Amino acid sequence: MTMNSTVKRPFVWAIMAIIAALLLAVGASGDRGPLTQQDRVDGISKRLACPTCQGESVYVSRAAAAVALRDEIARQVGSGERSDNEIVSFVEQRFGGQILLVPRSSGIDALVWALPVVALICALVGLTVAFRRWKVSDGAVVSDADRELVNRALHDS
Amino acid sequence: MSNRRGARIIAGAVGIVFVALLWVLVSASPNSAENSDSPLLGQPAPAIETTTIDNQQFNLAHRKGSWVVLNFFNSTCVPCRNEHPLLLAFARAQASAQNPAELYTIINDDNDDSVRAYFRKYGGDWPKLRDPDGAIAISFGIAKVPETWIIDPNGYVRLRIVGQLSDGLLEELLTSLKSSFG
Amino acid sequence: MFASGGVSGPLGRALLLVGIVGAVFGAFAAITSTRSNDLKVARLIPRFALLAFAAAVGAFATMEYAMITRDFSLAYVQKVGSTATPPLYNFAAVWSALEGSILLWVLVLSGYSLAVVFWLRRRMDEALSRWAVAVMFIVEVFFFLLSFGPANPFASGAEGVVEGIGPNPLLQNHVLVMFHPPLLYLGYVGMTVPFAFAIAALITGRLGEGWLLATRRWTLFAWGFLTVGIVLGGWWSYEVLGWSGVWAWDPVENASLLPWITATAYIHSVLVQERRGMLRVWNLSLLVATFSLTILGTFLTRSGVLNSVHAFSESSIGPWLLTFFALVVVISIVLIGWRGDRLRSPGSIDSPFSREGAFLANNVLFSLFAFVVLLGTVFPLIVEALQNRKIVVGAPFFDRMTMPVGIALLTIMAIAPVLPWRKASGELLRDRLFWPAWCAIATLFVCVIIGATGLVPLLAFGLGGFASGSAFRQVILATRRQGLRGLVGRTNGGMIVHVGVILISVSLAASNSYTHSQELNLVAGTAVQFGGHSFELVKFVERVDSRSISVAALVEVDGGRAYAPAITKFTNLGINVGTPSVKTGLFEDLYLTLEPPVLKDSAKARIKVFIKPLVLWLWIGGGLMAIGTLLAAFPGRRRRPTAATSALLPDHHDHDQSEVVGA
Repeated sequence: MTMNSTVKRPFVWAIMAIIAALLLAVGASGDRGPLTQQDRVDGISKRLACPTCQGESVYVSRAAAAVALRDEIARQVGSGERSDNEIVSFVEQRFGGQILLVPRSSGIDALVWALPVVALICALVGLTVAFRRWKVSDGAVVSDADRELVNRALHDS
Repeated sequence: MSNRRGARIIAGAVGIVFVALLWVLVSASPNSAENSDSPLLGQPAPAIETTTIDNQQFNLAHRKGSWVVLNFFNSTCVPCRNEHPLLLAFARAQASAQNPAELYTIINDDNDDSVRAYFRKYGGDWPKLRDPDGAIAISFGIAKVPETWIIDPNGYVRLRIVGQLSDGLLEELLTSLKSSFG
Repeated sequence: MFASGGVSGPLGRALLLVGIVGAVFGAFAAITSTRSNDLKVARLIPRFALLAFAAAVGAFATMEYAMITRDFSLAYVQKVGSTATPPLYNFAAVWSALEGSILLWVLVLSGYSLAVVFWLRRRMDEALSRWAVAVMFIVEVFFFLLSFGPANPFASGAEGVVEGIGPNPLLQNHVLVMFHPPLLYLGYVGMTVPFAFAIAALITGRLGEGWLLATRRWTLFAWGFLTVGIVLGGWWSYEVLGWSGVWAWDPVENASLLPWITATAYIHSVLVQERRGMLRVWNLSLLVATFSLTILGTFLTRSGVLNSVHAFSESSIGPWLLTFFALVVVISIVLIGWRGDRLRSPGSIDSPFSREGAFLANNVLFSLFAFVVLLGTVFPLIVEALQNRKIVVGAPFFDRMTMPVGIALLTIMAIAPVLPWRKASGELLRDRLFWPAWCAIATLFVCVIIGATGLVPLLAFGLGGFASGSAFRQVILATRRQGLRGLVGRTNGGMIVHVGVILISVSLAASNSYTHSQELNLVAGTAVQFGGHSFELVKFVERVDSRSISVAALVEVDGGRAYAPAITKFTNLGINVGTPSVKTGLFEDLYLTLEPPVLKDSAKARIKVFIKPLVLWLWIGGGLMAIGTLLAAFPGRRRRPTAATSALLPDHHDHDQSEVVGA
């Protein structure tokens, strides 16, 4: 049992944390982004809504307009003259803002990104307040008078 | 902070969110009207260089000097078929008009044979343009068929009509555009 | 068959009317017998429940009969029926559009009401039982009214119609369409039962823990079916839709997910109420939220306000559903406010590092999750209301937002099962989490060795290993002490469900990060390499039947079996539907689709190949969740009955029964 509790001491946990962090770092550094042109096309088409469908992305939809858009994106990726964001703007300039699947970070659209963060902060604050309030009602403090009382009681008997 | 006050705050917050949600949902309208807006309005029309189904060359830039009406069409699309008689009437009227507008059909996701068969059966002898990979449709930002676009003699996009035409609509709009933009 | 004299229409409506009467009288009987404590009236309740159920069955059967006999006098049959549809899909066509789906809801709900009445038959003298039954009847009346009024499937159609277009072709090529909606409804509608009991408890003021324990199995049952329904929906999306994904954050999908989220929070949080009588307001709120979300979800998808591939369009059903939703929420909030004093808990949470603390954090996390999904789903409506502009909130938003939620969930799943009640010491945590932590490190090691990259997926994999370690530790300890019985019961079944969830999370992380695709131009006879596999076009196969022409490309994968992705043109509709072909493997799926244009007379095909890692784990995970739910529904080892409020002093023996007493 002693070996067990030795092994589970904080020190060993620190080592484990370091190993885990190292492994994560090694893995994370290997991330090279989109590998093939097709990956780039897929990434872009996931950001655009299919113009003739009901809310599906160009990546998901099998409709003719989506297929045509995917081909167009593939052509532009293949020619290499535009970056991903530029291709998205190119499409937006023709179809209007409602083709974007990712709401912009400006104007009222930014609310959709901001509100969850606000909610998270409220939740954390709420939890902290709740726990603090419960902690306050916890824990009796032993006063000297009480100790006196206990000592006398023990020595009396 | 007492328990009661905390509870009231939470209840109040929930209530406000709920009322806001309800207001949004009540004011939501299903299937709102088609948006005939486009970022291309008032801009130079995208280039079109393609062939007709009779294998003639077509270049939109060479049509400068006349009003051009482009109709995106698919032979199986029901509203397209519904509006076809109106287009026939429009073409006939333009043929005997001063300063006639040119009507072109742009084939949207359809094959030559079906289109040929359709026009043979229902009439219409204006040029039908191929768009095999949908590049023209994309460059115009076509959302659904049918769509009708009007381009002025200088090559600028002036109007976009999404959906089935109604009787006289095209003639009316063209006349008012001609008076605004000459 | 030609349009007959239209007996089905009037018959169906008459049966619905009978159902309304039955449910109204049932509700009446339940409520008045509670007030006056009249047992004779109470005895009528089962008869009314049976009447309503029989009427619902009859109405549904009439609809099916009309569909099977192609009775085109009904507008609904004109909409979704067709002489060309095969019998199986024709049967399922009944629930493929709005009116029929409401009818299915009525059927399932009346079945649940009857089952609840039957289950309570010996306890009808209790006020709580009668109020619960009353609530079930009232909800039943609402849905019967919907089906009788705005969503009337028995309305007469245009004269002289002898053919219909049939359901959407996507609903005609996979047998799952028979199972997915009914199973989903069993879950969705089943959430009415715990809600009814919650309302009954609030009304009668009997807010102790008895009703919770009693309805535990009902909630698990509904939750299990909802889970299976959602997973089957994902499977259908994968097998049929051809974009190689399982979840698109489409509004209808979100509508089914939202009640699942709050219901999952509830089945965890309720344990705290059972053990320590705490989190009562949370639990009631979660139940109310779950039921309200089912109504809200139905509104969002049935009223036509949101665009979705699934959405049933149009109809005047919107205002009805919205009003009902508002009523449910307002009445529930008022009731909770009224009974507020009885809901105060006798104890408080001593430490955030305790089982109660973890479940409270769990509630908050799931609430945030539900908030984000709901926000994304209705945000287009908000923008439209404020600025009269249409936007779309798509998958990228949801993926980005739920990713941290997923990570947090995995972390809680790892730590919470080992947390004791009341308070945990650091030493205890280090002791119990030791082997699970090594599982995490081992998993990370293996992943890095095989070349997985990316911080987020690796984090997910590592935490998945951590959480699996905790789950298995629990199950192993239990089976060591009780043999096979250790697999059964709430905790152990729950751990198996957790393993299922972990598998699903890992699978989603892998396929979101590591899916690769490529379009290959195949020429018959020449093999093309991609991703370590070879693909060779053998030939085209064409199949013509009365309603479609399908062209399939036979592609030999790795020189072995041939897979046949196809494109099917439905001739009477002019729609092309692509059908993928999938080679399933333990570690990766090869997903093939045939891309247009298809030139079958030439020997060339354009095939898109997706390499999707770990997709099979998703279905295995779903299966484990179902199995775990079943196991959790069985009673575990009989415990020492604990009072709702536990003893004041922290005590080693007060831990969960399966813990080894500390050394």
